[in-house]
Amino acid sequence: MHKLGRGHRDKLQQFMTITGASEKSALQTLKASDWHLEGAFDVFYSQPQSKSFTDSRHLEELFNRYKDPYSDMILVDGITLLCNDIQVDPQDIVMLVVSWHMKAATMCEFSKQEFIGGLQGLGIDSLEKFCEKIPFMRMELKDDQKFREIYNFAFGWAKEKGQKSLALDTAIGMWQLLFAEKQWPLVDHWCQFLQARHNKAISRDTWSQLLEFARTVDPALTNYDAEGAWPYLIDEFVEYLNENGIIQNVQLNDLSQKR
Amino acid sequence: MSGQKKKNFQIEAFKHRVMVDPKYAEKTWKILEHAIQEIYNHNASGLSFEELYRNAYNMVLHKFGEKLYSGLVTTMTSHLSDISKSIEAAQGELFLEELNRKWLDHNKALQMIRDILMYMDRTFIPSTHKTPVHELGLNLWRDVVIHSCKTQIRLQDTLLELVHRERNGEVINRGLMRSIIKMLMDLGSSVYQDDFEQHFLEVSANFYGLESQQYIESCDCGDYLKKAERRLNEEMERVSHYLDARSLEKITNVVEKEMIENHMHRLVHMENSGLVNMLVNDKYDDLGRKYNLFRRVANGGLLIVRDVMTSYIRDTGKQLVTDPERLKDPVDFVQRLLDLKDKYDKIISLAFNNDKTFQNALNSSFEYFINLNARSPEFISLFVDDKLRKGLKGVSEEDVEVVLDKVMMLFRYLQEKDVFEKYYKQHLAKRLLAGKTVSDDAERSLIVKLKTECGYQFTSKLEGMFTDMKTSQDTMQGFHESLGAELGDSPSLTVQVLTTGSWPTQPSATCNLPAEILGVCEKFRSYYLGTHTGRRLSWQTNMGTADLKAIFGKGQKHELNVSTYQMCVLMLFNNADRLSYKEIEQATEIPASDLKRCLQSLACARVKSVLRKEPIGRDIAEDDAFSVNDKFSSKLYKVRISTVAAQRESEPENQETRQRVEEDRKPQIEAAIVRIMKSRRVLDHNNIVAEVIKQLQSRFLPNPVVIKKRIESLIEREFLERDKNDRKLYRYLA
Repeated sequence: MHKLGRGHRDKLQQFMTITGASEKSALQTLKASDWHLEGAFDVFYSQPQSKSFTDSRHLEELFNRYKDPYSDMILVDGITLLCNDIQVDPQDIVMLVVSWHMKAATMCEFSKQEFIGGLQGLGIDSLEKFCEKIPFMRMELKDDQKFREIYNFAFGWAKEKGQKSLALDTAIGMWQLLFAEKQWPLVDHWCQFLQARHNKAISRDTWSQLLEFARTVDPALTNYDAEGAWPYLIDEFVEYLNENGIIQNVQLNDLSQKR
Repeated sequence: MSGQKKKNFQIEAFKHRVMVDPKYAEKTWKILEHAIQEIYNHNASGLSFEELYRNAYNMVLHKFGEKLYSGLVTTMTSHLSDISKSIEAAQGELFLEELNRKWLDHNKALQMIRDILMYMDRTFIPSTHKTPVHELGLNLWRDVVIHSCKTQIRLQDTLLELVHRERNGEVINRGLMRSIIKMLMDLGSSVYQDDFEQHFLEVSANFYGLESQQYIESCDCGDYLKKAERRLNEEMERVSHYLDARSLEKITNVVEKEMIENHMHRLVHMENSGLVNMLVNDKYDDLGRKYNLFRRVANGGLLIVRDVMTSYIRDTGKQLVTDPERLKDPVDFVQRLLDLKDKYDKIISLAFNNDKTFQNALNSSFEYFINLNARSPEFISLFVDDKLRKGLKGVSEEDVEVVLDKVMMLFRYLQEKDVFEKYYKQHLAKRLLAGKTVSDDAERSLIVKLKTECGYQFTSKLEGMFTDMKTSQDTMQGFHESLGAELGDSPSLTVQVLTTGSWPTQPSATCNLPAEILGVCEKFRSYYLGTHTGRRLSWQTNMGTADLKAIFGKGQKHELNVSTYQMCVLMLFNNADRLSYKEIEQATEIPASDLKRCLQSLACARVKSVLRKEPIGRDIAEDDAFSVNDKFSSKLYKVRISTVAAQRESEPENQETRQRVEEDRKPQIEAAIVRIMKSRRVLDHNNIVAEVIKQLQSRFLPNPVVIKKRIESLIEREFLERDKNDRKLYRYLA
């Protein structure tokens, strides 16, 4: 450790903090990737994770701490308490990532199985470990593939039980949250457009295709393909942008045939 | 020969040996030379063919063929030089005649010479590959006479000038021309072409170029075309009379190019006399001529005509369908469309030789503008309605078929056939229920035509309507038979039982029937339900009619034919002299808008109305009072008040119908999508859209945006899914 230069030492620290790996394996990985942090992360995560030992008794205790007195679930109060304990705002997007790991069915509640299973998978059995894991979970959002999974997960998680579509207000809230992480310049226009023109629930197809749209089409819409089989709502959005002069000269379909 | 002593048969040479005389060849040649001269001097009669032939024969035999041949060439050449000079010397008009005469002479002479020298022609010449005598004679003529500097040019000029004069109307000596031209042809096709034809074509091009320019400045299109046609015929005749047949195509091409092709645009677009003018004024002759002439122009002649005609028809049609005046009278509107079609059908058959490409252009134009007006389907149905109600009264069966076929033709142009179906159904229902159809056969005939065109599904409901009418008749018969006695004095009731699916849906409204009617209605209901279990009957009070016998204040007796609503209203006045709108509304419970309309036709009609309203005026307010008009009069005993005839819809009604049509289309589009995906399993977006359009186009043209929405709806309902990697690809979920 002392033989390392200052820069390398910092990187080592960072790596260990984020991945929770031991110093030895961290050193190994960083050397293997020539001290490039990004590369090191790739290498590290592609290795099968050594399952860190979690004490199931501790997990039970944790669960009991937060669970609702009348049901075997952690509900809103419990979640608030949890967030307090780990010093995270309940509105923080990292809670979404947590829910994703837990494969939670609906927002604002965790079943016992979801809670315990999720924490086990993360290798958490105490609040300290939980706090340590937070940066790691934040990093996951930076990964394109994981972000997409989390984004698509969010649809099922945020909608009402038994409904097929996501209520518009909830959807807008979620989008604001998610696209704060993954910058999309058009997110505000999109939300305005929906409120002005659509005013109905959002279908799963539209939800997932929107991410594709945000990822692949550039904000000036120069590579928007009108024949691209985008959901109808997105085509309307493009037209809306064009009509209101927000984006000029977009190649549109003949969407004028409305009825 | 047997038993004879063999004798040596010796061939002895001639005693006199021809070869001995060294001057033999020369002498013989001189004889022949002299003969040739005599022949050229028209003194052949004094010669002995046999002797000359023999002399020539001998020369060849004794190996003097070369001398003979070269002598021939020399002699002939010198004679021809003389002839050439004499031709050159000919003055003016005589030049051609002299040439011709000398040519004929030469031919005769050549024939004779060839005959004399036939042995050489057949033996010496082939073996030495020299030119045969006849051909030699022609070549020499060509080279010496025709291609002498003066003659060559003079000949060309003379011929061309004669043609020119003939074109200007003079009569020329055609026989002479023919002979000379034939001479050129005999001398070889390249001679004909180089010495004459090529220049002829050039000069003609200039001539016609100038003439066409002149004409086009001074004539109108019709006259110009007549002139062009005349010139064309002239040239054809010229060729047949004195030119080589192979020149025909070349010269006609020249005329076509100069007179027609170069001026095509101008001719078509000429002010006040161009194509459009001819079309408008049905100038069949001019149009036919134009067609025939333009057809000759290979690249694009007819194309221009067709294009101009197409865009004119489109414009005319477009004006017709978008003119607000025209839209007020649907029957007239459709009639005008039919007239337009008739007009152009006639033009195409009389003037354009039934040319299929023109037919197609006409069809596509109609298809274009008929669909510009979204109400075309409604109007066509109204037209049919009018014809089937009264227009075809007294018309013979064949003529009925003609009208219906024309209607079918317009129907085919419609893109939104499902809209037509909706209206047709409504109008048919009204016709059937009011008993207002002129001819049952005509109705059925049209249904058959529609079925042939669109398939069974289109007409199954319509046919259901007819069936219901028939069945109702039978039901009524049964009803009267079984309950006849019981009915006695009750009002006579005729019921049509309509199967809900087949008839246009009408929401049934409230209406209190008068007590007299209720009784007999109930009797019918129990009779019907007695014979048909598991059915439900509901009275469609908004669709019925009634005949009332009325006695007015002054004793006038009339039979009033009114709608059911109107009957309910009028019956109230049996028990009251004066009723306010409000009272009427309460008593009958008829929905307000219907009630107002029905009162308006009873009380506010321009002709003397059955009821009087205070205050007078079309608008009906709550407290308006109604009473029977004692002064009512009519020339007829039977008076019809009801307004059940089909009319063009008001704007809001039209919107409503449109919306219903759109709603109906959604499941059809979805069904098509599912059908396609079920068989294809995986398909990309653009192909789905194309297939859906193809499948549904016989009914209507689906909007791609609507198709997209339907696909998304099907995705949500988990009939389809998007491919994970390619957004444009969809998969069928079993």
